[in-house]
Amino acid sequence: MHVRAATVDDLVGMQACNLHNLPENYTMKFYLYNALTWPSISYVAEDHKGRIVGYILATMEDAEEQPDGTPAGTKQKPHGHVASISVSRSYRRLGLAKKLMVQSQEAMANIYHASYVTLHVRKSNRAALGLYRDALAFTVKDIEHKYYADGEDAYVMQLSLKPQHEAR
Amino acid sequence: MPPAAAPSTPQNRVLPPKDRKAFTELLAQYEARQLTKGRKTADQILKKFPDHGETLCMKGLILVHLGSREEGVELVKKGMKKDLQSHICWHVFALIQKGERNYEEALKSYTQALRFDKDNANILRDAALLQTHLRYFDGLVESRLAILKQRPHVRHNWVALAVAHHLNGDLVEAKKVLEGYERSLKNVPDYDVEYSELLLYHIRILEELGEATEALALLDVNAKSRAIVDRTAIMEYRARLLSSLKSADAMNAWRALIEHNPDCYSYYRGFLSNQEIDLDSITEENRPQALEILRSFSAQLPKANAPRRLALVVATGDEFMALVKQYLSAALVKGIPSLFSDLKSLYRDPQKQKIIEETAEELRERYAAERRPDSSKKSEEPTTYLWTLYYLAQHHSYLSRHSQALSTLEAAIKHTPTLPELYMCKARALKRAGDLYGAAKAMNEARALDGQDRFVNTKCGKYRLRAGLVDEANEVFGMFTKKDAPSPGADLEDMQSWQYLIEEGDAQQRNGKPNLALKKYYAVERIFDQYEEDQYDFHGYSLRKSTLNVYIDLLKWEDQARSHPAFVHAAVAAARIWVALYDDPSIATKIQSEGSPSDTDKKAKKKAKKAAHKDKDQEDSNKKGATGPEDKGLEVPTPKDDDPEGIKLVAVTDPLERAAKLLQRVAGLVPHDVNVCFAVYDVAIRRKKYLQAVQALTRARSVDPEHPGLHIRIVDLRKAVSSLPEPVPSPSGPVLAEALSAILSEEVSLETYNSQYLQQHSTSAAAILASARVSRKLESPRDEVESLLFTALGAEVELSIETALEIISFLREIQSPRVDEFRAACDARFELSTVFKTRDQLAILRKECGGSGDEIEESDKVEVVG
Repeated sequence: MHVRAATVDDLVGMQACNLHNLPENYTMKFYLYNALTWPSISYVAEDHKGRIVGYILATMEDAEEQPDGTPAGTKQKPHGHVASISVSRSYRRLGLAKKLMVQSQEAMANIYHASYVTLHVRKSNRAALGLYRDALAFTVKDIEHKYYADGEDAYVMQLSLKPQHEAR
Repeated sequence: MPPAAAPSTPQNRVLPPKDRKAFTELLAQYEARQLTKGRKTADQILKKFPDHGETLCMKGLILVHLGSREEGVELVKKGMKKDLQSHICWHVFALIQKGERNYEEALKSYTQALRFDKDNANILRDAALLQTHLRYFDGLVESRLAILKQRPHVRHNWVALAVAHHLNGDLVEAKKVLEGYERSLKNVPDYDVEYSELLLYHIRILEELGEATEALALLDVNAKSRAIVDRTAIMEYRARLLSSLKSADAMNAWRALIEHNPDCYSYYRGFLSNQEIDLDSITEENRPQALEILRSFSAQLPKANAPRRLALVVATGDEFMALVKQYLSAALVKGIPSLFSDLKSLYRDPQKQKIIEETAEELRERYAAERRPDSSKKSEEPTTYLWTLYYLAQHHSYLSRHSQALSTLEAAIKHTPTLPELYMCKARALKRAGDLYGAAKAMNEARALDGQDRFVNTKCGKYRLRAGLVDEANEVFGMFTKKDAPSPGADLEDMQSWQYLIEEGDAQQRNGKPNLALKKYYAVERIFDQYEEDQYDFHGYSLRKSTLNVYIDLLKWEDQARSHPAFVHAAVAAARIWVALYDDPSIATKIQSEGSPSDTDKKAKKKAKKAAHKDKDQEDSNKKGATGPEDKGLEVPTPKDDDPEGIKLVAVTDPLERAAKLLQRVAGLVPHDVNVCFAVYDVAIRRKKYLQAVQALTRARSVDPEHPGLHIRIVDLRKAVSSLPEPVPSPSGPVLAEALSAILSEEVSLETYNSQYLQQHSTSAAAILASARVSRKLESPRDEVESLLFTALGAEVELSIETALEIISFLREIQSPRVDEFRAACDARFELSTVFKTRDQLAILRKECGGSGDEIEESDKVEVVG
């Protein structure tokens, strides 16, 4: 499948793909906001007909208080956050999630100097948890209670990014 | 809003100093949204000066914020009348209109406001946003210039002017503004993402201007100094620019991109095209070279799929055979479910299709042999055999070998009964074979095997809708939609799922409920209206954020968003219903007299009522608990839908105008979509807009001159025009006559035209049907028309299930006594299909796949012309 940076033209397809695959859905405004704020860090995978079969919707989070209790005011490096990632069931086992993630992470580190990436996953979603941990090397950092609208807890997962060397 | 301080204040606006102070306070209170305070202040002033226009307007504005829209708007209008020369009054009026999404009128009001206060920065800014939204780029340039003159030190004002020039098509001016601005910049901090975006925008403009050398120079300097921080963008621009300059460095630039993202097809395209190789038209001369390039990338990048897959496009004959065997077996061993959809596009080449089939069969035999207990070779996983069967089943189904597909799947399911993919594939094979109930049932089996997966859930709902099982579909959708939504459908609509709306609309239409179908199609329209609306906030935001390239892309996308197939489908389907309702008013009467909502609708209504009640409770408690009154904003809230079943909707008096309005939104965007052309024709001819009608047919003819739908309409138009009591007057008349005779010469009689058409297309069932419709229209006896239709059953005729259904529906329309005969023949011909079963048989099938077994109407398709 064709893996490339997401453009505005892809957002409708990303929204459709998300609705098909995941229970957490968003209106177009959310996709637009992300695309027009961080235009180069979201990626899509498309099939031969140009349909979006997988995507990563990435955002940046600015410096804030450390989650591990480091005193407030300690400037934290900016980090990326995966708002949503999914690959349609019929396009699994191609390693698309990983390919999307790798491209997005490189862009986050390169453009915004992200030092790590976070994402949320439902506690009950063992398949996704396995993917993030085993294939993508994320680790569980925290639990957010009742993170989801239906009251389910989320694992906060994190992955450190290697600093980008400036070599071109 | 700045204080009113015009030099020559009209007499009726002048307030004594104390009250003037109060008015200034009022403005400040409004800015701070201290709404109750503001209202009090306004009342104080109005006590003494009840005719003070600006105060009346401000009070009205505040009342709208406080939720008393009607009263507020009334006051604003009253205030306007008292002081038509106040920029404040016009500004307030503009804000109200903007809240009503009446952008055209709002812009006019802003323009009025500027007449009385031409340098008002707020008004200029708001006007610029509206000008962008409405695409009045001339005016936008003027507004941006005026803003810049006022505040040249504000960085965004320069950028905004450049963007305005760009949008106005003046790239040269845009470039000049950016250059001037960049020269004036000092001390840009390191790693400034916004500055980086600006430079990339500048480079884009140079690229669009065709100034590749200059663009490259700007890129290289700023890439080196790291002012541009987006490495992927740098590499992409570089490769493109170097290619267009025919530079020797281009090859390495493309290579670097491929190494950076080895699964991006466009990079390979770029690399090859830089060597004068066009992937879409490989020649015998460059084929070996292209293959060699792809082969070396495959070797260099073992994890990348793209070069291997592209090689399959390029290779032919034995070379293709060798490559595809590798490709297939590697994917089958890995168990990649998407293998078939990956390779399907190669089937356009019959030779490749044959090679793939032979190779897959060969692999199946090999893997089957390896499975045998006495086999000495046990290298392959047992799943490899399974995935091979899965591949072959999809292959056969795609080629309409339905029984073969299904028997292959049975073998696979026997091997592994727990793999959802097999049941999904079975569902699809059955759907293609015409067994919609069996398909829905199989998809539900797939769903049951993995209840956690929304993908299968969505498919299951979709298949149920295809089978007309609307309530049952919503039941499964509800497993993943929000529990507090009034209904699963309401949540899907809120989340802008046009796929769901289209599928359910189509299902309702097939089930004989055009009212409910229309509601869904209009919901699709609202989604796209919202998409359009969504851009508004970004006209200002993107300039501040300096995300200019993506912003320009946003505007371009917005301009053609409604060319999306979902919107086109909804518009055409709704127009067809409007036409049917116009042709047969009894449809609407029947719906209105029946009017009783179905059970689930009732349930949904109850739920909705409950939810509304809850909202109200919430509101009440807010009112009690809240310290200040709530700011409701200026936007008009969406009114409650008082016609959720569309019962009033189908009875409107202007169906054709509504259809025309919908079609107008797509006709310009997809002028060469034949379905759109036909829908435009069908509406235009009924509205006696002959010129529009003939133009639609001319367009359709340029795309597909032999289309059966076109044949019918050409005859229809000729008949309509020739039976006019008076010729269409000039200037349309002669144009119409000329266009019509260009399509169909006046010398040819309609009878001859029809028989010629039939002769030329006697092996196409759709053409036979079209010809039969025309014969009927030309008043041929019914039995003649019937015999013609029965020729569609001939062995040499291509007959699809859809066309067969249309023929049945036409036979019914002409009250043919031979309907059942035709239906029974189809039932025998399409063995696996259920759509030709009798009503009783269908009810049983419906029950079997979880449906309620209610009586359903036999699917009468609404026919538009006939």
